[in-house]
Amino acid sequence: MNKFQKLIITLTTIIFSASALASEVNVYTSRHYDSDDALYAEFTKKTGIKVNIISGNGSALIERLRVEGKNSPADIYFTVDAGNLWKVQKEGYFKAINSESIKSVVPENLRGPNDEWVAIAKRARVIYYNPKSVTKNEINNLSYEDLAEPEWKGRIAIRSSSNMYNQSLVASLISNHGIEKTENWAKKFVTNFARNPQGSDRAQIVAVANGEADIAIANSYYIGIMLSGKSGNDQLEAAKKVKMHFPNQDNRGTHINISGAGILKNSPNSENAIKFLEFLLSEDVQQYMVNISFEYPILDNVDPHASIASFGVGFKEDRTSVADYGKYNPDAIRLMDRTGWK
Amino acid sequence: MVLASLLGDYSDNWAHLYDYVLVDYISNTLYLIIGVSLLSLLIGTVTAWIVTTYDFFGKRFLEWALILPLATPPYILAYTFTGFFDAFGTANNFIRDIFSLDQSFIFFPNIRNIYGAVIVFSFTLYPYIYLVSRSAFLNQSRSMLEAGRMLGLSQFEIFYKLSLPIIRPAVIGGLMLVIMETISDFGAVDHFAIQTFTTGVFRTWHGMYDLKTAMQLASILLIFVATFVWIEKISRKKALYTSGTSTFKPTKKIKLLKYKAFISFFICFIPILIGFILPITELIIWAISYNLSFFNEKFLLAAMNTILLSITAAVLCASIALIINFSIRFKKYRFSNFLSSFLSLGYAVPGLILAVGIVQLFALIDQNILFNSDIILTGSIVGLIFAYIIKSYALANSTFESGFQRISTNLDDSARTLKSSGWNLLSRVHLPLLKTSFLTSILMVTSEVVKELPATLILRPFNFDTLAVATYIYAAEERMFQAAAPAIAIMLVGLIPIILLTKMISSSRPMDK
Repeated sequence: MNKFQKLIITLTTIIFSASALASEVNVYTSRHYDSDDALYAEFTKKTGIKVNIISGNGSALIERLRVEGKNSPADIYFTVDAGNLWKVQKEGYFKAINSESIKSVVPENLRGPNDEWVAIAKRARVIYYNPKSVTKNEINNLSYEDLAEPEWKGRIAIRSSSNMYNQSLVASLISNHGIEKTENWAKKFVTNFARNPQGSDRAQIVAVANGEADIAIANSYYIGIMLSGKSGNDQLEAAKKVKMHFPNQDNRGTHINISGAGILKNSPNSENAIKFLEFLLSEDVQQYMVNISFEYPILDNVDPHASIASFGVGFKEDRTSVADYGKYNPDAIRLMDRTGWK
Repeated sequence: MVLASLLGDYSDNWAHLYDYVLVDYISNTLYLIIGVSLLSLLIGTVTAWIVTTYDFFGKRFLEWALILPLATPPYILAYTFTGFFDAFGTANNFIRDIFSLDQSFIFFPNIRNIYGAVIVFSFTLYPYIYLVSRSAFLNQSRSMLEAGRMLGLSQFEIFYKLSLPIIRPAVIGGLMLVIMETISDFGAVDHFAIQTFTTGVFRTWHGMYDLKTAMQLASILLIFVATFVWIEKISRKKALYTSGTSTFKPTKKIKLLKYKAFISFFICFIPILIGFILPITELIIWAISYNLSFFNEKFLLAAMNTILLSITAAVLCASIALIINFSIRFKKYRFSNFLSSFLSLGYAVPGLILAVGIVQLFALIDQNILFNSDIILTGSIVGLIFAYIIKSYALANSTFESGFQRISTNLDDSARTLKSSGWNLLSRVHLPLLKTSFLTSILMVTSEVVKELPATLILRPFNFDTLAVATYIYAAEERMFQAAAPAIAIMLVGLIPIILLTKMISSSRPMDK
């Protein structure tokens, strides 16, 4: 070993000294909120366990897990899409979460097969409509499937098929109807678009408020963020002009996706990891989280933020296993490519 | 690592891509390349020509201000553009308010399309062309231009018949950077929902969970760029662009007055307005309407990390580029030539894909070379810096390439007769002449690393933030109000090297004053 190597090793040891701490939990996350730091500080205060974070893109973090292999310092993988959780499980990187208290509060369809991951919060993919241009009759009992009907020609705003929320929605349709039926639906649905898919979920809501489209498909929590005024007056005004509709109430229910997490097979601190997940699923923390993110809580005894609750609580949720979203995601993309959903 | 994927199996997804989307990816990417090349060439060379040939009110200011848009990452311009020009964005609301028009009136056309993307890339990347053309225009021989004038050529004819052909190699170098950055970009095209090769790479990876096909797609992109570089090299191999004489006489500036001065000022001001003033104004509006609580300890730490990392990476990167370029010139090693071209390609790889390639490489090193120690490159600062060097080598390289070209080979020969060679030749003859190139490449790499995101995200150690990461965390969810503050910080930190660069530019030619 020459001098140069010694130098490199000394340097890296200094840089890496953090991983020598005894009581810690290492989280790879693709979920980022302002409030996260406060939450982690609270956990450290309660348990004395330090929370180390690497946040990044979900797929890229999976790749990092893969190459790190047995040496990976990661304890928890935390993400905002069920597809990614399914992928990690399929690669065999998770292990079962052995916590009775988690099992007792989280319903089965919101846990992965073999309890290898668990939902931390829920969001619904709903229909927003402009009451000025959409009649009560049209919106009543409206389902995702109905949006392929010719009466919606040129009236629907939705973002691009590159977006994972749309991919999960189409995957859930595949899980319920099969590829062929879903493809026929998508072919007609695409011809009903008011404009080429563009912008974020919020841009779709704004388009409905401004009359560029009559209805939009977007996630439930965005309206909460917009109504909070945190994203400016324009968005606040736009949000006031639209109403929310929960699709498929008279059959399988509205499409649900999750933020969720699992414990990794090679986790060096799995005891701490379980404590961390239990913490995230405790009543106070759930309340705190949904008040900031405007998502729906996992626990039954916690209420969503008042502004979200005002659109309706206790709506019927689609019980399709969220694991299927991951399973059918590649099919969903290929299907959307074939039908020209840009 | 990325290229190695080409040798692997090809999955069924290729048939799918080929049948449905590949044509779209290729045509959109080509349109983008052609559009951005033309527009950024136009902006870069014309503004450089104006500020080097004429003297008019505001010229000193424009000369350095024209570099400012380099501090704007394309994705930030894209976000602010939509905030500004969307049907109900700032600009349209403003027009409606002034003329008290109906809500349905939309003055500015939709910019979420390929034309919008061409504008975004051209106005953020043209400084690469401006910088090289400007110094090339400054260095061209005065006698040539005077001869041109004597032959009765108009100013415009001198521009495109004499000056442009002479600065071609330098401009092509700048253009290559523009093209590489354009095709590797994900943020801006994704925001405008344009399906390019790079968005296709991510779609295949993230959605179809098929990293291998994604890597193969990226490799095709690389081969395309490599072919382009190679053709360009061959086409100029025969011509020698080093100037025979080293006696330098500055070109005399033509003084412009009144409306001509105004027009020149106006032409040069537009790119600054669109590429810098507009986005930073919109960001400031956003930041103010949110709140200013971001100036906490965490933010300062991220800023410190950003600055330290970028400077370290830049100095190393510039030194490596200098040594490689020197050995190409002096020893004519084939290997260094190959190495240089190969490293340059790093700039054209979509950031996340490059990051994955690097992670895989590190894992290989970690497991095979460092296997008996508990040190790993993945997730270390050293690894991060290494990644930055690969990503931005092309920037440093292009400056040295044109720098070395300007040094007459006669000088080497005379030095060699004086028994100066190797290290001695480099440090005593070339380095003093290349001081500007050295600093320029440091500064260009610095401003690139400040903006770098994907590699930082995946390779960084625990609890380690940079400004770009802080911006991303919000921008990814399109919470642009919260993202505005760190985004401003990126632009400001990016300004530091740019301002230094401009200082250097104005002092590099004392006779110019």
